[in-house]
Amino acid sequence: MSAAGGETGSAQSRPSTYTPAPGHRYEVGDAVRVKRRYPPGHRRTPHYIRGKVGTVERICGAFPNPEELAYGFDGEPKKVLYRVRFVQKEVWPRYRGPARDLIEMEIFEHWLEPAGDTGGRT
Amino acid sequence: MTMAGAKAKLEAPNGVDEMAEKHPNRGPQDIGGRKAGPVDVVDHGMKFWERQANALRSTLSGKGIVKRDELRRAAEDLRDYSKLQYFEITTSALRTLMIEKGYMTEQELKAKMDEVRARFDVPDEMESPLKQKAAQP
Repeated sequence: MSAAGGETGSAQSRPSTYTPAPGHRYEVGDAVRVKRRYPPGHRRTPHYIRGKVGTVERICGAFPNPEELAYGFDGEPKKVLYRVRFVQKEVWPRYRGPARDLIEMEIFEHWLEPAGDTGGRT
Repeated sequence: MTMAGAKAKLEAPNGVDEMAEKHPNRGPQDIGGRKAGPVDVVDHGMKFWERQANALRSTLSGKGIVKRDELRRAAEDLRDYSKLQYFEITTSALRTLMIEKGYMTEQELKAKMDEVRARFDVPDEMESPLKQKAAQP
């Protein structure tokens, strides 16, 4: 990517690492909750992370929606993909590792909702 | 995944909520948080048919005839997913898509398989015939 910014922008305006993500709903640092929904079909969000709250670590870009591609459609409109950071102890209540341990997962915007007062613009 | 791993009893999750754990729409591939049993980390290489099937999948993907996400969906929908090995899953998914997209019918596939088997009967466990020939003195 040759997009402007690099490390000069604030965390809030850091450009995408991969592809542009026009009109994205969340910014780096926003608290987001993974939707606790269980629709049938090919879904890119594992069950164990649904309902959990994390922080947007980066905006990966916008990509054809794999949940549509899976059924032979073109995946348009593209969906914004985020890398979301979760605290392991919050994901796994019986987690025995250090409290600082994290898990990062790439999650599409349609699977996320704002979480609390540090959350995204709605 | 080994057969032992695949057959391991799906035990209580590591503190993940009940609904996420038990939901009927949870696919067989979505095993995060479940106990898997011992993991076989030995590289078993690829059987002859696995190389052939993998080359076919790779070619069809490369040509854009099948897409990765379609293959994943077809794989996740396999009723016996957890009993199958990796290349059995990907090849079964490929078969589903080729029929779904109208490149062949179930009947045509069966007829072709019978025809090929009649002239080229490779046992399931057999290594490449060429390799075997080369290994002989």
